[in-house]
Amino acid sequence: MTKLRVAVDIGGTFTDICILDEDSGALRVAKTASTPEDPLIGAMRGLDEAEVSLRDVTLFSHGTTVATNALVTRRLPPAAMICTEGYRDVIEIRRSNKEDLWDTYNDVAQPYIRRRDRLTVRERIDHGGRVATPLDESDAREKARILRKRGVQAVAVCFMNSFINPQHEARMKEILQEELPGVEITTSSETLPEIFEHERFSTTVVNAILSPVVGGYVKRMNDALQQGGYASDLLMLHSGGGVMTPATAGQFAGRLAGSGIAAGAIASRHIAMLCGYENSIGLDMGGTSCDVSLVFGGESRVTKDWHIEFGYPIRFPSIEVLTIGAGGGSLAWIDDAGSLHNGPQSAGADPGPACYGRGNTTPTNTDANLALGRLGTSLAGGQIELDKAASEEAVRTAVAEPLGMDPVTAAKAIVSVANANMADAVRLISISRGYDPRDFALVAFGGAGALHGVALAKELSIPTVIVPPNPGVTSALGCLLVDVRHDLSQTYLALAAEADPADIEARFGEMEAEAHRRLVKEGVAEADMVLQRSIDMMYQGQWRSLQVPVASPFTSVPEAVAAFHADHDREYAFRRDDTPVELFRLSVTAIGTVPKAELMSHAANGAKAVAESSRMVDFDEVEGALETPIYSHEGLPAGVTIEGPAIVEQLDSTTVIPPGVRAEVDEWLNIRIHVAEA
Amino acid sequence: MSKNGTGITLDPVTFEVLKNSFITTVDQMAEQILRTCYSFVIYNRDFSSALNDANGDSIAQGNMDIAVHVGTLHYTCKAVIDTFKDDMRPGDVFMTNDPYAGGTHFNDVRIIRPVFVGDEIIAFAQSNGHWSDVGGSTPGSFDVLAKEMFREGIRITPTRLIDAGKWRHDFAEMIAANTRDPESIIGDMNAQAEATRVAEREILRLVEKYGKDTVVTGCKEVQDYVELATRQRISELPDGTWENVDYIDRDPALGEGMIPIKVKLTIKGDEVTYDFTGSHDTISTLYNSAFGGTFSAVVAGMKTYFPDLPLNSGFYRPINVIAPENSIVDAKWPVAVTGFLMPFEKIMNSIYEIWSDIMPERAIACAFNLEYLLTGGRDLRTKDRNIFMFYDWLPGGWGGRNGKDGCNVTTACFGTGLMTQPVEGQERLCPIIANEYQINTDSPGPGRWRGGAGVVKTSTLQDAESTVISYICDRERAIVWGIKGGLPSMPHGLYIQRKGKNEREWLGSIFSDVPIESGDIFSRPTAGGGGLGDPLERDPALVMRDVEDDYVSIERARKDYGVVLKVIDLDLASYEVDVEATRTERAAIAKARRSWLEEDGAAVAERYRNGELDEFDMVRRYGVIVDWGTGEYFPKTTAEFRTMMKKRSAAHWNDAIAELDQAAE
Repeated sequence: MTKLRVAVDIGGTFTDICILDEDSGALRVAKTASTPEDPLIGAMRGLDEAEVSLRDVTLFSHGTTVATNALVTRRLPPAAMICTEGYRDVIEIRRSNKEDLWDTYNDVAQPYIRRRDRLTVRERIDHGGRVATPLDESDAREKARILRKRGVQAVAVCFMNSFINPQHEARMKEILQEELPGVEITTSSETLPEIFEHERFSTTVVNAILSPVVGGYVKRMNDALQQGGYASDLLMLHSGGGVMTPATAGQFAGRLAGSGIAAGAIASRHIAMLCGYENSIGLDMGGTSCDVSLVFGGESRVTKDWHIEFGYPIRFPSIEVLTIGAGGGSLAWIDDAGSLHNGPQSAGADPGPACYGRGNTTPTNTDANLALGRLGTSLAGGQIELDKAASEEAVRTAVAEPLGMDPVTAAKAIVSVANANMADAVRLISISRGYDPRDFALVAFGGAGALHGVALAKELSIPTVIVPPNPGVTSALGCLLVDVRHDLSQTYLALAAEADPADIEARFGEMEAEAHRRLVKEGVAEADMVLQRSIDMMYQGQWRSLQVPVASPFTSVPEAVAAFHADHDREYAFRRDDTPVELFRLSVTAIGTVPKAELMSHAANGAKAVAESSRMVDFDEVEGALETPIYSHEGLPAGVTIEGPAIVEQLDSTTVIPPGVRAEVDEWLNIRIHVAEA
Repeated sequence: MSKNGTGITLDPVTFEVLKNSFITTVDQMAEQILRTCYSFVIYNRDFSSALNDANGDSIAQGNMDIAVHVGTLHYTCKAVIDTFKDDMRPGDVFMTNDPYAGGTHFNDVRIIRPVFVGDEIIAFAQSNGHWSDVGGSTPGSFDVLAKEMFREGIRITPTRLIDAGKWRHDFAEMIAANTRDPESIIGDMNAQAEATRVAEREILRLVEKYGKDTVVTGCKEVQDYVELATRQRISELPDGTWENVDYIDRDPALGEGMIPIKVKLTIKGDEVTYDFTGSHDTISTLYNSAFGGTFSAVVAGMKTYFPDLPLNSGFYRPINVIAPENSIVDAKWPVAVTGFLMPFEKIMNSIYEIWSDIMPERAIACAFNLEYLLTGGRDLRTKDRNIFMFYDWLPGGWGGRNGKDGCNVTTACFGTGLMTQPVEGQERLCPIIANEYQINTDSPGPGRWRGGAGVVKTSTLQDAESTVISYICDRERAIVWGIKGGLPSMPHGLYIQRKGKNEREWLGSIFSDVPIESGDIFSRPTAGGGGLGDPLERDPALVMRDVEDDYVSIERARKDYGVVLKVIDLDLASYEVDVEATRTERAAIAKARRSWLEEDGAAVAERYRNGELDEFDMVRRYGVIVDWGTGEYFPKTTAEFRTMMKKRSAAHWNDAIAELDQAAE
């Protein structure tokens, strides 16, 4: 019997399915149109089309934009907040700042719960965790009565200083559970026991309102899979780069916001590691945008400074991904003062680039690449024919003529500006964090990543570019490569010099007990459990903390402080050894390792690369078009070497290898392009 | 002033790459500052970063810079160049906070590093941050009673901080020793100096890649480009002249009566002139602005109407500013200027109103006034009775807009990137508990498009001694105004309720060093934004929605909007518009409202003292200004306020609403 691992990545336009044969390591991929009104329909149809029998599936993993879309479109169930008296508006007051500082007509989004549905009860805990005003239970029951009458499906309980004393929130939850049977009740102290009310409440509210959305969706999907004969747990990818099972997905629904973005970062990490690169930058360039992520020492960068919409932080650790508006469909345009821009506006999938012939006449990156011959006129194995003349016309009228350039120079200019924008994004995530791009490999994927990867690597002095075998569905592969993961944290405020390692060890112990409980609930075997500890620290007087991994058991504060000095120096290029250090937060990451299937490796058989055809292509490196061999990625065996200029085409992507650059196909059929040797 | 630049000589790709790289460089400085700073004011985003060219002109400013620093960073860079001229070496770093040389106020300290290629300076990197304290007579360095700078803080004229790579520790320590928090001040100097090094590294990278000449050309041409774009936009607008006046509440030395700031805007061809002739002389409080602050207000106000243009010196070139010497908008040494934010916001809102006429599609009414509370004393919760400092600022409402209500609870217009602080953090650091911090019902100025809502924060002083409180605010009398028929919102100011007392006392919007005791409760409402358009023309369904959410009370829905609501079920926050009663109510208000603005002010004030009228009635219906505590009538202020209100509100009211009642019958 075949044993399959299946990952489904549901995006806005396409649902990608990745099917890995556990025994052979063979990978196959399928793509089907997404069904936004009910994403499950598209997913199940895709499985049918790919002729996957759920009985053969041993592991089913899923990344989804369901949670993100529910937030952005505000298609949310009726929900309410219960707050400390005098504090119903914390999520509306926020930190009161705007994202757009100058445009007075560009507003911060409205809160996820209307003011009408934010009720209060008399209670107050002070900064030290003491009860300043006892919880008024009759007031609490009265508010519960009102909420029952309003028919809410989820309630977020958000009390001041509950991170240090959760007793009132816990009691409020009990009362609500008694009065509102069947309604999801989420407390802020359970969700994120950390100081700062807005960040905690905002995270809690997102978690609460997504709970019915995600809970219902996960259950329906799980049922459909079980009916089809799948015998194990559905694994849901979360923004932290791990998975949860249906047992916990409802409780931590907020973690599924951003699920889709994490998948690509994980896949690119895995591919780079496979190739022996512990440091890599992922470039996932699709039709409308480009996601950039970074891995250092085998670890993805994780941030807690994250949101779906500005002003509403979701403080669950998430893989750091920088998204900019640069994709194949990004439009090139000239402003009033004659300056050439690229994006962030996009022609999207419809009408799409000028070469689609659907009415758009403004050139896109796809048009520029087509005009230069870097992209062929036939996409997706002939399913889409592109109109090169339309691209050339768009480039000529919209850019070349206004700027007084010849059309080829204009097309190169469009691509160069897009590359420069992406290079700026990579700089922000690498150089400005103290990482030198020269120490990294670039993994270029997504539909358009491999078209731009080498140029970007040259711009940033990145020596190696890796193009995976299926660049267009690499994100789905990411869903297959993950472990069960839970992140726990709590505020811990103390001066390092005065901190008691025994107390810290005890706190870690409590958190690990909870982590262990969650992993058991997920069905993880003891042997597969890994618990990692870290402490956030800062120089006394500073306002941002830096997370430093620490050993278990925790015995030495000075050791942790020494690690902090070193990390601070690397991130910010200075350290202050004589300044007192403060502890701010304790964190535990709980991992339940899922055995990874190995991707199929192929032995080199000494074959030579054979070009399928050739065409004239314009490169940045030389003036004038070159007769360039065109290869098919599928037709390239392991071990072959290709000298640029060359183009490698496949169903979902095109790779550009400029003159003077050498590429080889490795044992996993990745194209590795050695830019630095050029 | 040069017209229309010389055009761009760089190829479009190099130009676009350099332009974006300059901005990314500044953003990298900002990112670094945010992660390493010590001043909590900086941490909450009161800072800015810039790249300046060899002449000191601004090449790029940060995307998230605070508005109030915009248009001043080139002045301070030029001040450093003037001081040191040829006496700069690689590895040097300079520092200044001089408001009389183009800066803003003493707290805003700028650290500036020349970027050398060989022995030539091709640019400067500048990091400006608001230090939490720069000495002077009060914690936080805002002394309301200061008439001259000597009480305000240390004035750092352009000085060398790092000498060819070597820190001048003696000098740094001397500056730090003049503040209340020397350790943090040294930390911020470090953080800012390192941030400028990030920019230096990036500029040198560009030089390595493109060559020095290209980068220097890029520095110049990105300014020419912005100048060209700005001039093109201005020349598309009709020529004309617009005049406006707004007020600071008072000069205590001059008695009752408001302090005018006048502005005349002239668009001619592709240039704009702002003329402040006729503005009041400097006053006896710290609410004066030196020229840098005034120029910044002009730039920030105007930039609001060109949000997509990048900010650099190119944007400033088509702008002329005429500010009479020694007036409130051009204070000279040693006049106190730390409260320049107050004239700054008056100028900005005045400019908003003028541009609302020029670009009605981007119209916006007046925003609430920045408020800043400073409390300090001994914290009895600590064993050494440590000094605590509680500096706090609140958000408020912004003005109603064309087709949209104003933004609720947003930072003051002096910089919308500034964040407010979490109560849980404050309660740990200071012996003060906040009993409430929530939206202030009825604070939005009524209008067809209402202003955004303000907040109210009420706090109790707990275990403390030797504690004093100071308050820096305005628009207690020059109340946040509406436009195009919209109404004002409500007065700014602070109430205090002494321990054991039932009555609260009005301390107003500007006071210094008032002693407070454990158990005293102080409460600050912030105003909502002014309304835009006649409130009697607001869609009753929108008024009902505001009542459901308690942005507006059912009582004021009737008084301010003439909308009469029936309660269906309070549990469900469910109401219904009484259409008949609403028509009648609206007609009645329309008939009476012009005469309310003519009623004898002294008699109206008497009714306020008797409790017949509240402050909303006073400012929204009668336009009468009193001392909100004692009810003392201010005839001169009222006359000035009513003149403003007739022009901004009454002139646009729709009198036909008065006839609708009969028409229906």
